[in-house]
Amino acid sequence: MPREVTLKVGVGKNLKERIVEIPDNAPRPWDGSDDLKYVGKRVPRVDGRDKTSGRAKFTFDIQLPGMLHAKFLRSKYPAAVIRKIDTSKAIKYPGVKAILSVQDKLPLIVRFAGQEILAVAAETAHQAAEALKLIEVTYDVRKFVVDKDLAKEKNAPTVFNTQVEEKLTEGDLPGEHSEVTQKGNVRGPNISPKDATPEKIDAALASSFAVVEATYRTQVQTHSAMETHGVVVDWTAEDKLKCWASTQAVFAVRDELAGSFKLPKSNVRIITKHMGGGFGAKFGVGIYGVMAAKLAREAKAPVRLMLDRKEEHLCVGNRPDSVQSLKIGADNDGKLTGIKLISYGTAGTGTGAGTSGPAKNIYEYDHFYSEESDVFTNAGPGAAFRAPGHPQGAFALEQAIDELAYKLKIDPLEFRKINTPNNEIRQAQLKIAAEKSGWARRNPNPGADKGPIKRGIGIANSVWYYFYGRNFQVSTQVNNDGTVKVTNGVQDLGTGITTVIVTIAAEELGLKPSDIQVSIGDSEYGYGPASGGSVTTGGLSPAVRDSAYAAKMKMFEIAAPMLETTADKLAAADGKIFIKENPDKSLSWKQVAKKIPGDNFIAIGERKEDYHKLDIGTIHGVQIIEVAVDTETGVVKAERVYAVHDCGRPMDLLTTESQINGGIIQGISYALFEDRILDRNTGIMVNSNMEQYKIAGALDTPEIESVVLNVHYGQSSTGAIGIGEPATVATAGAVGNAIFHATGVRVRELPMTPDKVLIALEAMKGASS
Amino acid sequence: MLTFYLNQNKIATSLHHGTVLLDFVRRESRLPGTKEGCREGDCGACTVLLGEIADEEIKYRAVNSCLLPIGSLAGKHVVTIEGLNLRENTLLQNAFVDEHASQCGFCTPGFILSLTDFLLNNPTLNFEEAILAVAGNICRCTGYESIKRAIKLLLTEVESRIELSLDKRVPELVRTGQLPEYFNTIPQKLARLEFDVEPENPGKIVAGGTDLFVQQADKLLKQPLQFIDDGQQSREIYRENDQCIVGASATMEEVRKTPVFREILPEIDTYSKLIASKPIRERATLAGNIVNASPIADFVILLLALEAKLILQIGSASRTVDLHNFYLGYKKLDLQEDEHIHNISIPIPNPGFKFNFEKVSRRTHLDIASVNTAAFFAVEENKITDARISAGGVAPIPLLLKNTNAFLQDKIIDPAIVESAMKIAAEEISPISDVRGSAEYKRRLLQQFIFAHFHTQFPELIGAEVLA
Ligand SMILES: Cc1cc2nc3c(=O)[nH]c(=O)nc-3n(C[C@@H](O)[C@@H](O)[C@H](O)COP(=O)(O)OP(=O)(O)OC[C@H]3O[C@@H](n4cnc5c(N)ncnc54)[C@H](O)[C@@H]3O)c2cc1C
Ligand code: FES
Ligand code: FES
Repeated sequence: MPREVTLKVGVGKNLKERIVEIPDNAPRPWDGSDDLKYVGKRVPRVDGRDKTSGRAKFTFDIQLPGMLHAKFLRSKYPAAVIRKIDTSKAIKYPGVKAILSVQDKLPLIVRFAGQEILAVAAETAHQAAEALKLIEVTYDVRKFVVDKDLAKEKNAPTVFNTQVEEKLTEGDLPGEHSEVTQKGNVRGPNISPKDATPEKIDAALASSFAVVEATYRTQVQTHSAMETHGVVVDWTAEDKLKCWASTQAVFAVRDELAGSFKLPKSNVRIITKHMGGGFGAKFGVGIYGVMAAKLAREAKAPVRLMLDRKEEHLCVGNRPDSVQSLKIGADNDGKLTGIKLISYGTAGTGTGAGTSGPAKNIYEYDHFYSEESDVFTNAGPGAAFRAPGHPQGAFALEQAIDELAYKLKIDPLEFRKINTPNNEIRQAQLKIAAEKSGWARRNPNPGADKGPIKRGIGIANSVWYYFYGRNFQVSTQVNNDGTVKVTNGVQDLGTGITTVIVTIAAEELGLKPSDIQVSIGDSEYGYGPASGGSVTTGGLSPAVRDSAYAAKMKMFEIAAPMLETTADKLAAADGKIFIKENPDKSLSWKQVAKKIPGDNFIAIGERKEDYHKLDIGTIHGVQIIEVAVDTETGVVKAERVYAVHDCGRPMDLLTTESQINGGIIQGISYALFEDRILDRNTGIMVNSNMEQYKIAGALDTPEIESVVLNVHYGQSSTGAIGIGEPATVATAGAVGNAIFHATGVRVRELPMTPDKVLIALEAMKGASS
Repeated sequence: MLTFYLNQNKIATSLHHGTVLLDFVRRESRLPGTKEGCREGDCGACTVLLGEIADEEIKYRAVNSCLLPIGSLAGKHVVTIEGLNLRENTLLQNAFVDEHASQCGFCTPGFILSLTDFLLNNPTLNFEEAILAVAGNICRCTGYESIKRAIKLLLTEVESRIELSLDKRVPELVRTGQLPEYFNTIPQKLARLEFDVEPENPGKIVAGGTDLFVQQADKLLKQPLQFIDDGQQSREIYRENDQCIVGASATMEEVRKTPVFREILPEIDTYSKLIASKPIRERATLAGNIVNASPIADFVILLLALEAKLILQIGSASRTVDLHNFYLGYKKLDLQEDEHIHNISIPIPNPGFKFNFEKVSRRTHLDIASVNTAAFFAVEENKITDARISAGGVAPIPLLLKNTNAFLQDKIIDPAIVESAMKIAAEEISPISDVRGSAEYKRRLLQQFIFAHFHTQFPELIGAEVLA
């Protein structure tokens, strides 16, 4: 029997009542009227001690008795056909236990430098590496292309001769799948909206008061998680597989392994206790997982196969690059009229170079047209990467918006307000960001600073969406000594779901976070989300709360006769169960637990549909960034960031803020440093390390002030929404706008390295003199 | 047998001396707390402490275990994260927990080790220097904000609870529960440790290993190695008449701390921050920097401007070469097979000289320069009596700008001569386009730097407006 509850919902303190129908056995959703003890506060990580003491064991650290070490032989050419592989010398190398090709039959077609050819398992990693050197591969080298512009040309070597199926993971946007044609290396264009034509948008823009048009370029960024991809596989019986995996999706890895080896799901167990970052690249089992399992079966011993940093850069995913031609127009009152976006990019041998998300979903206007294409090149495949497509799209769009604002002599922040009139959340965020950053004090004229170091301040919007997944099963076990354990299969990538689980369970049960134990990261536990699309917290947290709530109800049933009352009159707080109306009549949690029949009980919470759709389906963010540009050297330093974001009701502020900070730094690093460079002549990545592929360090980081704007929807029992992805969308665009404000020069190409900035400055000087 | 201490345990091993410590602790000793992120010294996940007795006191320094061959460990103490743990979390570990400074946590042990080095060694315990101590540690998750908060919390806690004077930090940190007790017994244990100093067998010379083990870790496992970083003597840095003599195995950090070198380069602390990371500088030798012959080697650029000379030896025969004549072409040296650098000799300039160093890289810290340059000027009443400008990243070798320097000789400093010097410099270099920037950019940058050399050293003569 569903029941109706009246909730306080809305943005920040601006709350209104809303009647929400919820199932009878569900708790009243947390809403704007609840001030909670732990939820939304700063609860330190529950695994902090393990991590600071080095005791946290990652897949990288798993050592099993008799474990072998496996390594891939990878193609040194970007395009080739392999018809012959001679392993006769290698198999005799000391310690070598198994050698297997990735493909049972030759020829093997190679499409990028670094593609897997075969794998060797040996007693030591060194032996495996040495054995690889003894393998003779006969390459029939083919023509290749790694430059997407060359790849588009008519006579370019084709990467695929067949139609390519788009492969999506949990990290990609649902509904991104597109039915498009493929010609040569170009897959697309994907036109949106379906009935739009370039003529219509051109006409709409032509009648606009002001139009800006420019082309923006973004680079390929690799995920570069600190723990590389990999697995340790152990066949515990002929038809039973145990696998430690550095993954964002234990259940997907289980399904893939079960599928590959035709095993029942119940015979495959995936374990991910601690995991060193993924950012979207670690969804499937990967060819490394399958090969490790094959080698282990062949060699009859456990096998460890962890990639190294170079393989990480080459083979297991990246953020595709882009070339975006943007044309946008506005009326003289500053209202956007339309946006036209023509975009292409390469995800190497993969797909997913679309960039239109921000252009479609941030502003309110009438006319839109986009054409997006994937260009295949002989390079490692792209993969979902923290808000796929969005940092690229926002880099272009947010600079174009800025340019249009300057052209219309409207303050860039004001311009963004004018064009999001119906989005209450965005309006609130723009206001907070303006106040925090002292935006009003900003000199409206770009390039106004005297002297060689020029400072500027730029703003950009971000957008993301709300996904949550369904049917997750969380169990709360209460033992008769009062201890509580919450269990779910979900993996913790470091984003802190373990801490979130503890926080919610403690809140609901009226216990302390330290009273709650958690077991996660195991496919033998209840179904949990894959961590992609920022679904983990929004998806899992209601099931956690509902499970704890069900456990609490059981405890109330046990306590009711003891307190001579009925269960519905009881509440739990501070380790006690008491009568709501008469809190002095209470029992300690432990006293009640003693009366649990048998040893323990388990209460299940299940993630179902949300109670209702969100009024505004997007998740937002505004970032304002201050930079200093050294006009003598071109060096840009991001000095300060003000970030305002929303994620429904935050569960633990420490983890939420850390997601925002991490997203910003990845954005700064994307804006200023990171760049995968392939040599056009050899097709080989020239900076497949951390020496030349530069990632921001502690000294490159700005001061960050972040504000999490609470938004209460009452859509689920916790009201939580993820934050992992939106935080990285706006950053590069905001840096670009800040550079413009500092210098009067637009740098339309990422990364905005000193050479590009200096050359842009020189070009401006040249043009003005 | 090679013997050393790893945490509280004595280790005796006959593994190849070229095995890197990271592999030793993870694979042989099964201590997985030390992480691996790059194996090239660029991420800091593998940071450990290396302790050794010097001047009767034990000194620890953070180093990258991925580039440290075990052959360098004889008689020393290695501390991994496992060796720091106590029953309770330390203030440092607690600060990381409380401030959420660990997200996925893969980088965390490295940060803890780098900051332990900071607590053990840094003269002043302030925030700016603590951040420098982790400049070599990459974290992909946290955005460093929480790490910075943790550092601030740590510093307040330490300040209120521990008296950290400059010396005797080990016993004080043990007394206050920040280091395990066994640290106090290590000096005696090391003193009692018997280890054969390996005979000087001929083989590939390994100094700090920070180039070698990046470039050819595999190969080094198959050949005889000669470790020269041991003998105290070769690490000495001292004054001899008007020269500063730097031993072949003196490291960048050792040089930085030595008074006679600081007399020559009073700003060395500032320059050091732009060179590698502290754990790398703790191992990297000047001689290694010279022999590696990277066209953008920072210390070489400094030494070129200082007119350094090399004393080379084969057996007992020795000869002296000017550093600027040492480079014959890209990675081609005036160094014979079996010959090694015995000493580096740097003239101590007369007081009143001017010196400046500039470097630009994509990241300001722990990054290789696009272009770097140093300038030494001796000046009498605005007249240049000696100019030595060097530049890296603009030619196949680290370059002394001979034409520019000759032009500047005996000139009165004014905007016109600076402009001419910029032009001449641009003509005598031959930069190429690569990952670190286009040739055009490098040329432009060097010109800006030449200007900066004058502008920073002679602001009253060369104002900022000259450039515009
Ligand atoms: C992460 C990282 C960052 C770095 N950043 C910088 C930077 O910012 N700036 C910079 O300039 N450098 C940088 N470097 C390189 C720098 O560490 C090295 O050039 C270092 O100075 C080399 O010294 P070493 O003692 O480690 O040499 P090793 O690696 O031990 O040896 C290098 C070469 O010199 C030879 N050699 C050593 N000593 C002698 C001798 N006495 N006689 C003859 N031959 C000898 C060796 O045989 C070998 O061929 C960096 C390195 C790393 C790993
Ligand atoms: S593993 Fe990255 S510095 Fe050693
Ligand atoms: S916490 Fe993941 S790398 Fe630092």
